[in-house]
Amino acid sequence: MEATQFDKNMMAVAFAEAGEHDTVRDTLKGGKKGLATAPAPVRSKPYLKTLFFGCISISAYILLFKNEQLVTDTFTMGDWRWVFPVGAAFFFSFIHGAFASNLLTTLGLEAKK
Amino acid sequence: MKKLLLICLFVLAVLPVLTQSAFAAGAGPSKDMLKGIVTQVNGAERTVVFVKDGTKEVRTLVLGEKMKIEDMKMNTKVLINLDKHAGENVMKDFSVMFMDMTVSKLLALLAIGAIGGLLSGFIGSGGAFVMTPAMMSLGVPGAVAVASNMCHKFPKAMVGAYKRWKYGQADIKLGLVMSTTAIIGVQIGIEIQKYILHKFGGAGSNLYISAVFMVVLVFVGGYVFYDAWKMIKGGGEETVSKLAIAMQKINIPPMIHFKTANVTISAWITIPVGVLTGMLAATIAVGGFVGVPGMIYVVGVSAVVASATELIIAFVMGAWGSVQWGLSGLIDIRLSLLLLATSLIGVQLGALGTTYVKDYIIKVVMATTMLIVAVSRGVMVPGYLADVGFTAPLDAGTITLLERVSYWSLLLALCSAGLIIIVAMVKGMSADRRSRKALAGVQHG
Repeated sequence: MEATQFDKNMMAVAFAEAGEHDTVRDTLKGGKKGLATAPAPVRSKPYLKTLFFGCISISAYILLFKNEQLVTDTFTMGDWRWVFPVGAAFFFSFIHGAFASNLLTTLGLEAKK
Repeated sequence: MKKLLLICLFVLAVLPVLTQSAFAAGAGPSKDMLKGIVTQVNGAERTVVFVKDGTKEVRTLVLGEKMKIEDMKMNTKVLINLDKHAGENVMKDFSVMFMDMTVSKLLALLAIGAIGGLLSGFIGSGGAFVMTPAMMSLGVPGAVAVASNMCHKFPKAMVGAYKRWKYGQADIKLGLVMSTTAIIGVQIGIEIQKYILHKFGGAGSNLYISAVFMVVLVFVGGYVFYDAWKMIKGGGEETVSKLAIAMQKINIPPMIHFKTANVTISAWITIPVGVLTGMLAATIAVGGFVGVPGMIYVVGVSAVVASATELIIAFVMGAWGSVQWGLSGLIDIRLSLLLLATSLIGVQLGALGTTYVKDYIIKVVMATTMLIVAVSRGVMVPGYLADVGFTAPLDAGTITLLERVSYWSLLLALCSAGLIIIVAMVKGMSADRRSRKALAGVQHG
């Protein structure tokens, strides 16, 4: 059911009293961008992606700490071997970063639309 | 403007090569530092046989006066600082490069990473000022702590910058322009540091760093706090500073338009801000404490865009610094990756948190952090003044007390900032949920 202008005005008053000035502006604007339109479709949560990236990430961490002596010795040899620590940091940032992003979405923590 | 961007990218690519030696001398490990393995210990002569990493050069080193022979550890990678004043092969100190990872140390690193990441995602910088001392207190040698922190910083900044760019907050062009000039600022900062170290020694250098910390943080932090207070009183609306409006009127080519920041300004205004950011990064390791307020009050960018753009600068500078430390082989990747494990979650949480809060909350968090960190450095100044010889020496008990106050106030800065962010986010999220519910009620009623 489409909200009438009266409904919009009353909503605006309620939000203004609550100090939500941006919402007031959006409400009064109406149209496609306004709040008085259909709500955004609910997206399914990325459980599989979270699990997938989580498994890769935890496996990589286990692999690293199982071989920590070899890894620390090789990664600290200096010269061109700088590619090892920097490359590893990049690799973990992509894999673990993707896991963290999906985990937050799964937990319902998303940016304000 | 494409030309200017190409120049920036060219400088970013070429400058590290041109200045590698200068940077390695200043921000990298000292030339008096040796990395390798002790293969033999001779207690009677107080000497050790040392095999240098990489070149496999074998040297016989003599223990310094205050060193104990039983502290020497064989067949594990160590860092040795030489005391060149006492002799070519005399050791000043000795530290094991890789600490044993116990469960409590692992948990401590994860906790520091989480709060540091949250702060970084929210205000664009933060964490570095407490991570290095925290790692050192866990038993990590200073150079390894700095290097490992640097290697954890750039991937965290990259993920945070990407997230905030997706939210339409990060200005890539402004970030690249600022990074380029910040790298030049780092060189200047290093030269000043080297001059002070040469002229006044280690104590003079410590005093200089603490004094800069104090002045910058009290002045800039105090102003940011005052501005946030004005915004709270004025209904939370952010206004462009008078200084920034005046700066935007200066029409000296090349004029650059920053689309996301929605600002057109002369390159000659952004250059000093970038240079000062780099200088501060080379001095106190937290360039963002001047970069973000500089972008807000001098360039005229909103707090949300400035803190997001700072993450691009942190990524570029962190990646460049990590290559330098990687060349010296001082990064303990275990530490970097443990910090990353939680900071990558924290940075994304902090980034999405910015979409729920008013601009002044970012300023409140930044100002609170800066002012508490200023206290932590301020309490160290009497000790440094005594070291330089300006005042009478302090007794050991007072020095220990001051060091404890300094360390705990750093942790307090981190925790209080984390708390403000979480409370503000939870409030913002529940307000958003309430308004959605109210909307759904209107539509279905």
